[in-house]
Amino acid sequence: MSLLSAHGLTRRFGGLVAVDDVSLEVFEGTILALIGPNGAGKSTLFNLLTAFDRPNAGTVVFDGRDLAGMPPHRVVRLGLARTFQNTQLFEEMTALENVLTGAHTQTRTGWARAALRLPGTGREERLAREEAQRLLRLVGLAEVAHVHASDLPHGTRRLLEVARALASRPRLLLLDEPAAGLNNAETEQLARVLRQLRDGGVTLVVVEHDMGLVMDVSDEIVVLNEGRKIAEGPPLLIQKDPAVIAAYLGEEQLDA
Amino acid sequence: MGSREVSWELLQFGVAGLKNGAIYALVALGFTIVYASTNVINFAQGEFYMLGGMFATFVFAHLGLPLGLAAVAAVVATAATAVVFELLAVRPRVGGDPMTIIIVTVGGSVLLRSLARHAFGSDELALPAFSQGGSIMVGGAAIDRQTLWVWGIAALAVAALWVLYTRTRLGRAMRATAVDGEAARLVGIDTRLLVTVSFGLAAVLGAVAGLVVTPLTQTAYDVGAAIGLKGFAAAILGGLGNPVAAVVGGIVLGLLESLSVAFISSTYKDAIALAVLLLVLFLRPSGLLGRTRREKV
Amino acid sequence: MSRLRTALPAVAVAAAVLALPLFVHDRYLLKVLSYVGIDVVVVLGLALLFGFAGQISLGQAAFFGIGAYTSGVLVAVHGWPWVAGVAAAVAASAAAGALLALPVGRLRGHYLAMATLGFSEIALVAFTELKGLTGGTDGLSGIPYPALGPFAARTPGANYVLVWGVAAVAYVVAANVVALRPGRALRALHGSENGAQACGIDVGRTKVVAFSAAAGLAGLGGALYAHLVGFISPGSFTLELSILLVAMIALGGMGSLPGAVLGAVLLGMLPYLDAVVPGLPKSAVEVLQSWEADIYGLVLILVMLFMPRGIAGALRRLRRERGGER
Ligand SMILES: Nc1ncnc2c1ncn2[C@@H]1O[C@H](COP(=O)(O)OP(=O)(O)O)[C@@H](O)[C@H]1O
Ligand SMILES: [Mg+2]
Repeated sequence: MSLLSAHGLTRRFGGLVAVDDVSLEVFEGTILALIGPNGAGKSTLFNLLTAFDRPNAGTVVFDGRDLAGMPPHRVVRLGLARTFQNTQLFEEMTALENVLTGAHTQTRTGWARAALRLPGTGREERLAREEAQRLLRLVGLAEVAHVHASDLPHGTRRLLEVARALASRPRLLLLDEPAAGLNNAETEQLARVLRQLRDGGVTLVVVEHDMGLVMDVSDEIVVLNEGRKIAEGPPLLIQKDPAVIAAYLGEEQLDA
Repeated sequence: MGSREVSWELLQFGVAGLKNGAIYALVALGFTIVYASTNVINFAQGEFYMLGGMFATFVFAHLGLPLGLAAVAAVVATAATAVVFELLAVRPRVGGDPMTIIIVTVGGSVLLRSLARHAFGSDELALPAFSQGGSIMVGGAAIDRQTLWVWGIAALAVAALWVLYTRTRLGRAMRATAVDGEAARLVGIDTRLLVTVSFGLAAVLGAVAGLVVTPLTQTAYDVGAAIGLKGFAAAILGGLGNPVAAVVGGIVLGLLESLSVAFISSTYKDAIALAVLLLVLFLRPSGLLGRTRREKV
Repeated sequence: MSRLRTALPAVAVAAAVLALPLFVHDRYLLKVLSYVGIDVVVVLGLALLFGFAGQISLGQAAFFGIGAYTSGVLVAVHGWPWVAGVAAAVAASAAAGALLALPVGRLRGHYLAMATLGFSEIALVAFTELKGLTGGTDGLSGIPYPALGPFAARTPGANYVLVWGVAAVAYVVAANVVALRPGRALRALHGSENGAQACGIDVGRTKVVAFSAAAGLAGLGGALYAHLVGFISPGSFTLELSILLVAMIALGGMGSLPGAVLGAVLLGMLPYLDAVVPGLPKSAVEVLQSWEADIYGLVLILVMLFMPRGIAGALRRLRRERGGER
């Protein structure tokens, strides 16, 4: 069943059509890779899919609900989480606190309850911390739980952002270039996590340049070029698609 | 006949509005110039206006220099103060967290104001009019001679700035930096130096404005905060970062204030600029002439 | 159990602070310390808004004033009981903060600073021009001391205990908020608004609540002030006060409640140094008071240049570096 479907999405910046009439379906329990050269419109499409940006035309339906006009934080509540190409961590917080903040939609303590430390707030906090620790272990960051995000190396930061997104218990998770800047070990860790998540029932959309990773984990690939969708299909077919190869010529090798 | 009187009265209000508008325009230009080089608002801009008037009255009254020389000395002294402030307090933080620079300039404004109080006292100080003689009558409206000086000097300052911006290498570098600081740096423009220059220029404009109105309004150590708010209101009304917009914003604000005095009451004259400031911030932060910019995520 | 143990030092400090009048009978000192306690209440609010959520406000003096006038007018003119006046003051200022935040919430950095500054100046015009209500520049006098039924806080000692009792409660409340989910939402705003939204945090609403809380605490401080001093006029609610409050946060350190309290105590005590330093000549105090504003301005600049995270940040770094050596 299709968990997320986009129809005719278009986004213009002045004269530039960053996303041009793109439609796509994401099926529950799969990993969809979104690839394309730099400036193809992948991040812009992500922003449209998560309501961080509004399309000039087209619709996004998540789990049967039209996202038009919905503020981004509401979308998260529906079970659609994301990471950013430029990591948007809370630098002054520790890794653990970052993940705890990611659990915002999963916890309830408000100002009044917190101010008076009403019964239940302590328990909720403890459970949230346990869950956050579990997520940090999942992405391999248990050791740095109490290190400030600003002090973490680049690759670690991306993994932390994944953990933070997971804390909202998403049904669909969109990752924008999660492997950028990761070393080999970290990339493998990431691939493991992605498969584990899918097997655990989380649907994934991944923007990625690391073709090894893309071919390795994805069930389906959508290729963007200059804002348009130029191909979609299973990895083996996409690899041979002449349009895709042409789009990538001079950019980078398909099989990295 | 009655309607004619009313229209002369309106003209009189228009003259007052254009006079204040010219002053606001100069202060707004100061904001715009510093913003163009730092992307930050200089909260001490109003103090440059204050210093211009205070230095001029001091030099004139205590050092006995002729008025013209006193004016030049005041402008130079204000610019020097601004440059020293920039070098010592702003430069070390340029390019960092904008909030840090905001707070530094807020601190600078408090410090300059208080130092001025200690140096020049807390009394209102006056300066004689630049030229003697009664008002010039235009039909039923009287134009004070000093108002002509305000217009003349403001026009001169704007013209000089225009020449600087369009005809000199320095000006071109400043414009390039305003458009894209990173790119400007890459082509070898010393953007740090430009920040210092922009503080100096902003101080010149503020000081000129402050000293040319002092014969009309008198001055005191604490006039900076209010004029700073008005100048900023003008800058943002036009559209922050654009010199033409600063001038337009200043004149429009001056006229709006005058009209409000004409049609409502003078009690709330000062609140008009504040209301304009808040309305523009809330409704159209890019100003009348500005373009909306969206941030990329 | 462990919560009790961590709370113990705080309780001890609070008890010591509150018990001070048992040992100190210097009326001047108690009065000065009461002012400082009011600063602490107000600064705690700004700490939430600016220190934690990163939303600068150069308009806290306006909320302080709204609180002072609300309680002052209701109690002195309309004969409301003190508690009701103070409660109304908190409600009025918190509502004003929320109202301001609705449009201002979209602004950041210097735009936010200017908008709050502009709001504050408008409030000042209102305090001055609404003569029928506020007494205009002549001010509002005859505001009675705090009283609960038959108990009235007429002595400096009683007022001291009242103010610092309120400050202690405000501190505990703020500390609880900061430690839990709402506090993380505040800090998330400061860190990255995009990141906050991606966590499902309603950025706009969080700002409204933060502004409203900060304004409410400022209003509470204002109400305490009005009843402590007995007389208020627009001169007490100017930009200088707003900047002083920001300076307290900057000096103490962004994102730290103990830092905020320390900043308030250090800068709040400054003009009354003679109260705590025995034998300080009167002339020295006069010089200090005359150069007060210069010092505040200088502190703002120096802290930003040499200690941008304030005292708390410097201590934190010291501790981290020491920890690293071990
Ligand atoms: N906020 C924006 N304003 C103007 N142009 C933008 C904005 N966001 C993206 N673009 C442009 O849209 C195009 C697509 O960008 P992006 O979606 O980031 O590509 P990708 O993620 O595939 O590298 C680029 O040409 C980029 O410059
Ligand atoms: Mg991208």
